[in-house]
Amino acid sequence: MFALGLIGLLVRRNLLFILMAIEVMLNASGLAFVSAGARWGQADGQVMFLFILTVAAAEVAVGLALLLRLYHRFHSLDVDAASEMRG
Amino acid sequence: MNPVLLKIIVLLGILIVVLTLASGLIWLERRLLALWQDRYGPNRVGPFGLLQVLADMIKIFFKEDWIPPFADKPVFVLAPAIIVITVLLTFAVIPFTPLVQIADTNIALLFFLGMSSLGVYSVVLGGWASNNKYSLLGGMRAASQMLSYEVFMGLSMMGTVMLAGSFSLRSIVEAQRHMWFVVPQFLGFVLFLIAGIAETRRLPFDLPEAESELVAGFHSEYSGMKFGMFFVGEYLGVILISVLLSVLYFGGWQGPFLPPIVWIVLKTLFFICFFILLRAAMPRPRFDQLMSWGWKWMLPLSLLNLAVTGAVVLAMRR
Amino acid sequence: MEAIFYIAAIVAVLATVLTVTRLNPVHALLYLTVSLLAVAVVFYTLGAPFMAALEVVIYAGAIMVLFVFVVMLLNLGRHTVEIERSWLSPGAFVGPAILAAILVGEVSYLLARSGTLTPPVAEVSPHQVALSLYGPYLLGVELASFLLLGALVGAYHVGSRRAQGRTTVGSRSDRTGLASGGDLVRTGADRPSGAA
Repeated sequence: MFALGLIGLLVRRNLLFILMAIEVMLNASGLAFVSAGARWGQADGQVMFLFILTVAAAEVAVGLALLLRLYHRFHSLDVDAASEMRG
Repeated sequence: MNPVLLKIIVLLGILIVVLTLASGLIWLERRLLALWQDRYGPNRVGPFGLLQVLADMIKIFFKEDWIPPFADKPVFVLAPAIIVITVLLTFAVIPFTPLVQIADTNIALLFFLGMSSLGVYSVVLGGWASNNKYSLLGGMRAASQMLSYEVFMGLSMMGTVMLAGSFSLRSIVEAQRHMWFVVPQFLGFVLFLIAGIAETRRLPFDLPEAESELVAGFHSEYSGMKFGMFFVGEYLGVILISVLLSVLYFGGWQGPFLPPIVWIVLKTLFFICFFILLRAAMPRPRFDQLMSWGWKWMLPLSLLNLAVTGAVVLAMRR
Repeated sequence: MEAIFYIAAIVAVLATVLTVTRLNPVHALLYLTVSLLAVAVVFYTLGAPFMAALEVVIYAGAIMVLFVFVVMLLNLGRHTVEIERSWLSPGAFVGPAILAAILVGEVSYLLARSGTLTPPVAEVSPHQVALSLYGPYLLGVELASFLLLGALVGAYHVGSRRAQGRTTVGSRSDRTGLASGGDLVRTGADRPSGAA
């Protein structure tokens, strides 16, 4: 799953899809944490998943706000459009 | 008797009763509204117009099921199914009586929250797939409204969870043996009621489908049975919230003299009638009023409720 | 239970593949949601019902709806599919796919060498999670709340800077922060009752 998210991140030029791919990767690492926690019968894995959830929520909030700015400025979701430092 | 067989019978029973009730509500709502507005309501078909439901069903089944050519077909078809499925799934965790319950999990309340947040998809996707300005606006309204009011819904329920010490609805009901939770959790009850109305998109919170401004909002383009699904889904949601209100705050099946099943049905019907009365009595707010009311009043109040309840519970345990 | 686990896992992987390869943003989001739901089922079979519920409530219920909301806000529809098609050539998948395949190979080699299949998993109750969350990880909880506050302020600032009539953007985004903040509170809510 993580690998799939990575593929998505590398292939896409659309910011929206990049954000989605990041979600996939975060989720995959969360899955790894929870299954490891289940393997050893410890609660730590689930605690880590909780933190991942918070990180994901924060990341999405900022990411989507950035995406809206990008769209309003360039009228496109192409990340390459924003490659110049002068806006 | 075979427990699996029993479970299947209970399941089918709940399914049939709930679906019948949902369609019966159409008649009930129209009659009650008429009563409160000094009209007759549907009174021609059958005794007291009871068969009006049947007539409506026949009409809706034989209508042409039209998918607009500009719509996104798979999503358009998927959307109405989601709402009915999610709401029906939630009925699985509700304890109607000590015997009639399909699944007693220890995350029942969270399950309900999850299913209701998935229900948002139905409306949002319905609005998007119709590919129509008004539907899109309705869908966006629905998304922001349901997303925000779900937060308060979750927070206001947590008071009962603290008092009962469990997420399981069954133990919440059993914890109310001596006192219904509406007494210590009155604020939570009011907040949950408001959030529940917003979740089911009933008046005064029916902005996603405001007829006068959005021409029925997210389901403008739907017809025939697909529209019927949205319709039944809404009534199922009303029943669900009413049952939950009686389970969480009014002692569920508990009550003197009468058997449990009668009590839960009575309490549920009371809340359903209350919902209909609201529709007859309340005007519709503006959308920004709705949102600012939610974030400026509901959120602080529910957090306050949560903190105070937590402190009191902790002090009592000491 | 084991069969359910494997079915859910396969569904999750397939849905994720479809997510990455779809052209229409809403379809991709729907597949991603399906994948998240499948992961929630996997969590349930792994003995973490609380996490499964949170996955559905927060990930599928809040974060993905926010994505859909933004897609609707920008009104990405049919024309974006054409643009996306021009951007996305099959050849672009080759390099990343090879790299990812190497990674997957390594992981599965390591897993295969360590050998032992998982024994029947023990359920970790929310009670245990809460105890450990507010015990050794208390600092982490505080940091997470700071992160959310930062995200809230940041999203609001990015969303509404020098933008007239676009304030809805900022207030939308900070609602995510609030929503998940609320969930943190909610997570802790079972502590006083459970711990005593």
